[in-house]
Amino acid sequence: MQLMKRKTNKSNVRAIKKIAPALAAASCSLLSVGSGTALARGEAGTWDFDAASLFYAETDDRVSAVEPVFSATRNFEDGEVLNLKAAYDVLTGASPNGATPSATPQTFTTPSGNSTYTTDAGDAPIDDTFKDTRVALSASWLAPINRDWEYSAAFYGSKEYDYLSIGTSGGIKRYLNNKNTALNAGLSFSFDTIEPEGDIPGALAEMPHIGSGDDFSATRIDTSDDKTIIDALFGVTQVINRNTIMQFNYSVSMSDGYLTDPFKILSVIEDTAGANFGGNLQNGNGNNIYLYEARPDSRIKHSLYWQTKYALANGDVIDGSYRFMLDDWGINSHTFDFRYRWQLGSSYLEPHLRYYMQSEADFYKRYITETEYNAGSLKEATSDYRLGDLDGMTIGLKYGHKLDNDHEFNIRVEYYLQSNSGDNGIGLLKDQDLYPDTKALIFQVGYSF
Amino acid sequence: MAELTLEPEDNPAQHPLPKLTGNRQLWIGCFQAMASDCELLIEGVDEVQASALLMIAAKETWRIEHKFSRYVSGNIIDRINTALGQTIEVDSETAALLNFSDQCYQLSDGLFDVSSGVLRKIWRFDGSDAVPDSVQITETLKHLGWHKVDWKTPMLSLPEDMELDFGGIGKEYAVDRVVLILNSKIDRLSKHSEFSNCSFVVNFGGDLACSGPRLDGTPWTIGVENSERDQTSVATVSLSQGAVATSGDSRRFLLKDGVRYCHILNPLTGESIIDAPHAISVAASNCMQAGMLSTFAMLHGEQAEAFLDAQEAQYWVQR
Repeated sequence: MQLMKRKTNKSNVRAIKKIAPALAAASCSLLSVGSGTALARGEAGTWDFDAASLFYAETDDRVSAVEPVFSATRNFEDGEVLNLKAAYDVLTGASPNGATPSATPQTFTTPSGNSTYTTDAGDAPIDDTFKDTRVALSASWLAPINRDWEYSAAFYGSKEYDYLSIGTSGGIKRYLNNKNTALNAGLSFSFDTIEPEGDIPGALAEMPHIGSGDDFSATRIDTSDDKTIIDALFGVTQVINRNTIMQFNYSVSMSDGYLTDPFKILSVIEDTAGANFGGNLQNGNGNNIYLYEARPDSRIKHSLYWQTKYALANGDVIDGSYRFMLDDWGINSHTFDFRYRWQLGSSYLEPHLRYYMQSEADFYKRYITETEYNAGSLKEATSDYRLGDLDGMTIGLKYGHKLDNDHEFNIRVEYYLQSNSGDNGIGLLKDQDLYPDTKALIFQVGYSF
Repeated sequence: MAELTLEPEDNPAQHPLPKLTGNRQLWIGCFQAMASDCELLIEGVDEVQASALLMIAAKETWRIEHKFSRYVSGNIIDRINTALGQTIEVDSETAALLNFSDQCYQLSDGLFDVSSGVLRKIWRFDGSDAVPDSVQITETLKHLGWHKVDWKTPMLSLPEDMELDFGGIGKEYAVDRVVLILNSKIDRLSKHSEFSNCSFVVNFGGDLACSGPRLDGTPWTIGVENSERDQTSVATVSLSQGAVATSGDSRRFLLKDGVRYCHILNPLTGESIIDAPHAISVAASNCMQAGMLSTFAMLHGEQAEAFLDAQEAQYWVQR
């Protein structure tokens, strides 16, 4: 007992040192060492994989596409995220070539200049030689700089038979108000090269009729061309309350270079009174005259985007967004998107409704009149329905199921209906359906693990 | 109430499965590990997300328990303790814990020693009066002392007659690891905008840490076991950031001739600390730091408060 007392006293007289800062440093250093043990999906030190396959089919045997996508995400201890993605598309089918339907059969030269195809009277002229495969690869890196700042960088490349696109982008994000507000800015640059089969036709050059001895190569101006696209984005994400998050973005996109579709043509329609008023204008050889389209060599698009997500007390999520886009081609568009995520235990059902409306480009023409053709004053013209006056509606449903091992299986079905409208033609052309609807079915299955 | 499934390899000690109760306002996840009731309180997530977070917490805790428990044969602690004086190479996580222990040994001038577990062989805190005599203590002291261990990352040589264990830091380490892992999971989920905000507390038998204040901005109020033997009374701790750890003698003590011998032992003397408070809770930025400060304070006996004042720590002492 004596011994104990003495020793206790000895321990009590030890000098008290301030060790808290050193201890804090030691504990932080310990906790920054990873255990290296693989954990659940989304944990640092693991790879997450997403595999999905998309099937897209337009009705009337038009374009169909199959696109398997594989994505791998690696999360690091310090919050860095690396994502690698590969996609492979196979597109087949037929695409409208831009000419108007006609009361007589029409013969067109294929883009390669090697053969012709014929469209029956009254049918929409479509080029059914359309087939392409595309491989796309991308890598992105996201990393925190410190508690409040984050940066990202990405590289992208895709290759089709006649098209190559490479790009890079970078972004920075700043968190404010305890991470309740995030400001982000991004810049991306892409460079695309097109080297179409059959080379590049001249702007508004007359389509040669190879069966009639026209010189195909005389209409070609180059074997390839390119364009650059620069996009800048500024956004704010704000947590409104514990149930609501809101996002606003402004983005501007500047394209320069060859923006024309070398495969698209326009019909030239007679507008002088007579038997063929509203029919195809013919040249000296008795062949219909079609002109290759031409678009301006630059485009600036501005868009504003607003999104709100609201989480209900029962775990369901309402997600609504609106986008307004305006460009110097005279197009403006509105997109309304609405999703409701209905949580059913470990599954969810997500109905989706999207409505899109767009006004036509200044140089959009369903056809060129004989008068315009003879005046020779047109510099730009396109009949590409995607640049016309159009409304699009998507109705879809997605079902997802989360498995016990944190993997997710999902399936999505969507139906897309697009209707164009515009000038209904003159004379004979009035009998033709100049704006057939586009209908497509989209089906996707995905698995995340 | 949701019961979760886990792979057998995630639960080597075959603990009962974690249980999740509560509702969207507050989820309460419970599981057993390290001889403690482990609790995870979460708000701002749905049931599926809460279950997933609870599963991550349990798996990580059980992983640490299995890896560093001195009762599991074949784990790294067992390999160290049965190396018979041979030098062995340890993995990076064990090395980090050994480095931390080494720093604590230096900072405490030897009062914190991961080789002091052998003292438990003579000090059995069963509420009885079996206080060891000085002969037993002197004999046991020969088998401890971190300074006798040859440690140079990542190679460790432990004298044959010594043992190491991380019993003094394991639970605090697990709390901090769980907070770290849950935060990273939540960060990722919120990037995918699956939810806007989430807050949680990890409480392993009174050693606790939180991710931040509650979503309404108020602090978490957590009941911690009172040191008084009357187990019905509960002290509460308010926490809006960081961690709180408690050292005390609530159930582990010896009582002889009116002297209460607390279960914290001085590895330099082999003696129980006398005149230590019943319990000391310390707040710090993480649980490891809070745990070490409360343990060091206990080891300072009657000078516990003076020690904590010198650290400028926020603390609660019960004498």
